Amino acid sequence: MNTIIIEGLSFSLPLFIIAIGGIYSEGSGITNLALEGLLGFGAFFGGLSYAVLSRTFAGDPTVLIYASLGFAMIGGALLALLHALMCIKFKANQVISGVVINMLSVALTAFLANQINASFFGQPSNKFLLEVFPKATIPLLSNIPILGAVFTDFYTFELIIVAVALFMAYLLYKTPTGMHIRACGDNPHALAAAGGNVQKVRFWSVIASGALAGLGGMCFAYSISTTFSPNIYMGFGYLAIAAYIFGSWKIGPTFLACILFGFARSGGYVLVQKLKLPSSYGDLVLTLPYIVTLVLLLFFSSTNKPPRALGEVYDQAKR
Amino acid sequence: MKRTSLLKRLFILGCGKGRHQLLRTSLFCIFLSLLAGAILLLLLGKNPLEAYTSILQGAGILPKSRYAGRKSQLTDFMSLLNYTTPMVFAALSVAVALKCGIFNICVSGIMVFSGFMATVLVGYSNLDPFLAKILVVLIGALSGALIGILIGYLKHRFNMNEVVVAIMLNYIISYVVSFFIQTRFIDPITRQSVAVGQNARLTLFDHPVGNLKMEIALVFPLALLAVFAIKFMLDRTRFGFELKAVGSNSKASKYAGIHVGKAVVFTMLISGSLAGLAGVSYYLGSNASIQPRVLPSLGFDAIAVALLGNTTPIGSFFASLLVMVFDCGTTYMSSRMQVLREIAALITSILLLFSAIGIFFRNLADRFEQEAEEV
Repeated sequence: MNTIIIEGLSFSLPLFIIAIGGIYSEGSGITNLALEGLLGFGAFFGGLSYAVLSRTFAGDPTVLIYASLGFAMIGGALLALLHALMCIKFKANQVISGVVINMLSVALTAFLANQINASFFGQPSNKFLLEVFPKATIPLLSNIPILGAVFTDFYTFELIIVAVALFMAYLLYKTPTGMHIRACGDNPHALAAAGGNVQKVRFWSVIASGALAGLGGMCFAYSISTTFSPNIYMGFGYLAIAAYIFGSWKIGPTFLACILFGFARSGGYVLVQKLKLPSSYGDLVLTLPYIVTLVLLLFFSSTNKPPRALGEVYDQAKR
Repeated sequence: MKRTSLLKRLFILGCGKGRHQLLRTSLFCIFLSLLAGAILLLLLGKNPLEAYTSILQGAGILPKSRYAGRKSQLTDFMSLLNYTTPMVFAALSVAVALKCGIFNICVSGIMVFSGFMATVLVGYSNLDPFLAKILVVLIGALSGALIGILIGYLKHRFNMNEVVVAIMLNYIISYVVSFFIQTRFIDPITRQSVAVGQNARLTLFDHPVGNLKMEIALVFPLALLAVFAIKFMLDRTRFGFELKAVGSNSKASKYAGIHVGKAVVFTMLISGSLAGLAGVSYYLGSNASIQPRVLPSLGFDAIAVALLGNTTPIGSFFASLLVMVFDCGTTYMSSRMQVLREIAALITSILLLFSAIGIFFRNLADRFEQEAEEV
């Protein structure tokens, strides 16, 4: 039981932060299929910064680990800048821009990782090795039966994610800025009439979504393989999209969806182990979140409400 | 009088109003991305002209200086056609769906599904080669059509977003197929599915023609046929008109008496079966086995390829050819010039990036043109 909770949370929380990124972008009216590419590029940037810094910086390596999370956010934001430009300035089709950015991200990180490893570090490889992320256990709380597992042996990045998620939720639902973002997604002309700048709000929302996706991607890189490698593109970005659609573009329900996905995954793996099935049955477990989403959408797609202006290019002349 | 700057005039020439505006924009995008690729190659200290020439040589468009035994420019070109075949089907599949306003990103998943079905049902049998190949094509088209209908039906009946459904289906198919391959059909050495028999393969490998050994893609003529059939359907038939009408405004089409649901489901049937054909020509043609847990990137690339071809059948065909020239030629280029193989994917994605903002280029050119007239 403990493994299910520990493993489940270490998967759900990075997924959750990526999904929040998606909510920010789509909440402001910009379709974001690029999450997969953004998280990969963020992880690449974080991994690269770690590889560079660990060769030059002599101090405590844990500082570097936390710094790499920050760099991953910058990396994700950089690629998101491209998505924002394409969708807002160049008025490209947002879905297509997302798909192209995913492709670009895969190609660019594979090329750069190979090229940088070969020319600067003198080793033919497409990976950046990382350290194991520090883990922690909270003394008293971890003794609570069952729920104690939540506070046992968790990666410390989970705390960061929870803090960032709480802040982003506060920003989106309790501040004027958040109000502007949501107005942009539902009725951009109303925001414009109230004196807001639609393009600017959307621009920063997309940048924020890139930063959050980068953070999530870096956490996946640490928790799943402790390397950056092209294997980071495993479809977690698309799973995050499933999560926030499932959560009807709201942060609270999305959190539940992510927890469900994470626990279905870890629970399934434990079940496969317990029943002593061959490991290939893990593949069937991995389909669970997707099947659940598909079936639930079948029943709830009429009540599922995406932001009303989602995917529409903002045209000031069209009221 | 103020002169319009050279750059602006180039833009107007490339994407301004007039004949073949869409075609010229695409060519302009190709030109821009080749330019970007050239800058990248210069930064790496390589000669871009030499690199592009060797890409063309590797793809069999230009002759190489020397060839290995029983190989020639023709064998390289036939190999290019072999790899292009699945891309043509996939790009057509995306283009047809886009014409009806449906974004089909399930091509990868459908390819895996149809490839797997054909592999299991026919690939391991010892049927007569002629019969087996026909069956493979039929099963590919049918199983693709099934998934296509499913997506179309879910979109129409339950108002589900086809992009979301497609993403979910992609992963469900990928994992389920991977499960069956790993439990039943795994080749312990390659970690892929057991290779299909030669009788079922849609590509003849090392087939002796004269004194050459070449790859012959048997379904390439079918791909060409599909291009013209889709073009005919879109331009000349009632259904094609309804399909495009639904794509440009589904509400207006409904008022005009077009059965929107039927159009959506039929379009996805066609798009799905084309994707299925892409699957069999990929997994039982240019490849012979399926790698578990991997969605072919070709299915995603096809989206952008169709876009580069302005979502027309003929355009998609030439766009596929162009992208595959890069893909096939790069192996030769990278071994000759010590450039990383990944650069091909990079240049391709830059190309697709530019083609995605083709609308912006056209608007920009219009604005420049107006400025030029006012001055």
